[in-house]
Amino acid sequence: MQTSELLNNYHVDSHTWDEMYLNESVREQYRGVVEFMQRLSIEELNKKEELAKGLFMSQGVTFTVYSSGEGIEKIFPFDIIPRIITATEWKFIEEGIKQRLKALNLFLKDVYNEQFIIQDGIVPAEMIYSCPHYLREMYRFPVPYDIYVHIAGIDLIRNYDGSFYILEDNLRTPSGVSYMLENREITKRLFPDLLPKNNVRAVTEYPNILHRNLVSLSPRRISKPTIVVLSPGIYNSAYFEHTTLARLMGVELVEGRDLVVDNHKVYMKTTAGLHQVDVIYRRVDDEFLDPLMFNGSSMLGVSGIMNAYRKGNVAIVNAIGNGVADDKAIYTYVPQMIRYYLNEEPILKNVPTFQLGHDEQREEVFANMHKMVIKKTNESGGYGMLMGHVASEREMELYKEQILINPRQFIAQPIISLSSSPCYMNGKLVPRRVDLRPYALCGPEGIEIVPGGLTRVALKEGSLVVNSSQGGGSKDTWVLAI
Amino acid sequence: MPKFKIHHVTRYNYETPVRDSANQILLFPIQDDFQQVLKQDLHITGEPMVDIYKDFYGNEVGSFMNAEPHLELVIDSKLEVITRGNHEPADDQPAEIQWAELHKIRSQFPYIDFLKQEQFSSLGEVTRIIGEMDLRSLTPYQTGKKLNDYIFTHFQYIKGITSVETTLEEVWNLKAGVCQDFAHLLLVMLRKIEIPARYVSGYVCPNKSGMRGEGATHAWVEAYIPFYGWLGFDPTNNCNVNGMHVRLAVGRSFSNCSPVKGTYKGTSSHTLEVGVSVSYEDGRTSEEPSAVLAAQPKNANGEQENSYRRYMEMIQQQQ
Repeated sequence: MQTSELLNNYHVDSHTWDEMYLNESVREQYRGVVEFMQRLSIEELNKKEELAKGLFMSQGVTFTVYSSGEGIEKIFPFDIIPRIITATEWKFIEEGIKQRLKALNLFLKDVYNEQFIIQDGIVPAEMIYSCPHYLREMYRFPVPYDIYVHIAGIDLIRNYDGSFYILEDNLRTPSGVSYMLENREITKRLFPDLLPKNNVRAVTEYPNILHRNLVSLSPRRISKPTIVVLSPGIYNSAYFEHTTLARLMGVELVEGRDLVVDNHKVYMKTTAGLHQVDVIYRRVDDEFLDPLMFNGSSMLGVSGIMNAYRKGNVAIVNAIGNGVADDKAIYTYVPQMIRYYLNEEPILKNVPTFQLGHDEQREEVFANMHKMVIKKTNESGGYGMLMGHVASEREMELYKEQILINPRQFIAQPIISLSSSPCYMNGKLVPRRVDLRPYALCGPEGIEIVPGGLTRVALKEGSLVVNSSQGGGSKDTWVLAI
Repeated sequence: MPKFKIHHVTRYNYETPVRDSANQILLFPIQDDFQQVLKQDLHITGEPMVDIYKDFYGNEVGSFMNAEPHLELVIDSKLEVITRGNHEPADDQPAEIQWAELHKIRSQFPYIDFLKQEQFSSLGEVTRIIGEMDLRSLTPYQTGKKLNDYIFTHFQYIKGITSVETTLEEVWNLKAGVCQDFAHLLLVMLRKIEIPARYVSGYVCPNKSGMRGEGATHAWVEAYIPFYGWLGFDPTNNCNVNGMHVRLAVGRSFSNCSPVKGTYKGTSSHTLEVGVSVSYEDGRTSEEPSAVLAAQPKNANGEQENSYRRYMEMIQQQQ
């Protein structure tokens, strides 16, 4: 079989935006890749795919799925065909995310200090105070440079007309950036000349920018502050990422038991004695970070670390209490936040969202449940979600019961079809739904977004759920320079 | 304006040396129109640096650490405090206007936080009992008094049968407990009928009159009375708070107000003793704390092997 046949057999759903095809012809940005593929035989493509699998296996690029009873490490499925974003599209995305993050960061500062946005009636007090992630411990807490969100992963999707929508803001400990970096490394191995020929922008700066930002947060003005990545340990789903980031930045990877707080300073236990820590990039959730202040049963945290943080003796990244800003019910208010704090119109659109804590909206959702996706406001990773179009009557009834126990903890959105992108699967080229998670880094100098991101793919035909925990895979994501 | 000298000692003894201890204390009385601290001497084993900040509820919180191996931790606080009683609420507005006011402020800061209901299995029964009392015909102030009396009458004051880990459900079924349990139940009942209520931790200083809660830290409740403000109800003693209570901290529940809590690494085997003595202007002194340092009740199930249990035990119960 010739590779040209692959393309002839690629059928795009007419109600879906396809990243590669428009009206039976290949979009400009994909031409380089398509021409290259056409020069390869099917055998060669299969070999590339095998090579990619082998590389992921040998490099241990894994993640863990929790729902199957115990932690099971899996290879993150990778599709060899890149997802390509044009320079114009990227400029739009970049501006939109920067605007959004500016507003979200101001929101966090506001709700933990003056609360102007509540006084002015933009966001109801109930919304904030009923959010389990609104941590009263952070009230009037001095945060270095007023930055709460140092690292954000913003999820974008594309509707049938190609317009971008924000699906979720991840402002706590967003993961996946190591896959963005690994996917690019694999592409370099698979198609060495393709990247420069297509003017693809590099993503390799990510660890350097992150490291530079972490250094700039050091409370001690010394040339080589001690920076650590704090991981919950090997059973965490993103442990691979923790090790990768620590390695790429050249900093220590630690767990809670490696640290101790004395006299309101954080120290790392080393073979040469205690060593003061200046900046902690923590991948431990708020609740488990400090057993003295939060969950007393936590074995993952460090007692007294919040007191060291409050004293300004250590910087913690991301700040604590960010969950109030990426709560899925608060999400509804982000466009208003942008207008309120920045006096600007939102560049990127929100997906219309129904709050189930609101009686009328809940009635409307219950009446149209088969057209809705329903999510818990403070869960991530696709856990606890109901996709109305595939749910059975019984599943919907059970879910309704759950909602009625605590409606505030649920939101609903109309099902958005997501754009499709070609995937090479079992010797065929097939369209699969994708989203996009770019990673933004905020430091004292401003916000930077590495040109790229993680494109997640719903590998099952017709599926709209891209989460790796729910059987999703990923693609290398190219942002073109011109 | 009564003046009290309070001596509060907390002593932890460990069987073998422990290290990496981090602690938090809420031992600094609230200062406002009704309470003034003249003097406070605080001594802690090893004289660590105590950092003090104001928390969300306005309490002064101290924190200190000790990473070195140690066998003992003593927190010794000597206080001189003046209190001033408040006049009773005039309570002259019609009940329905007062209830309407409470309904209006229910989702406003700070009241919203003091209405959040803790869920437990018998909450339905509590709701039924409250319903039968026909409280809506009373004013919120009268309601507070009535519920205060209900808890005092229906629950026995018995030391040692509950601990800091005892749940509301257990207390409700036991129909007994100490001041901490009484205060939690009153919080539940007041919030159930939409009266904002907060937990208060502190000392009771009754001089000769004799009150429950002497010799240890005490706990009670403050309810928000419309057109008046926060008013203290002490269900353990069935009284309004009026100049004989010294407030250390307020919060949504005990967990925001624990006078002393901490964590450490090392043996699970430790003892905790707490003593509080008060001297009065007339020269009378309740017993010296050294004489009445009372061992704190251990958690019922005996197992204290993991750090969570250790943490729970490090928190002293209020009586």
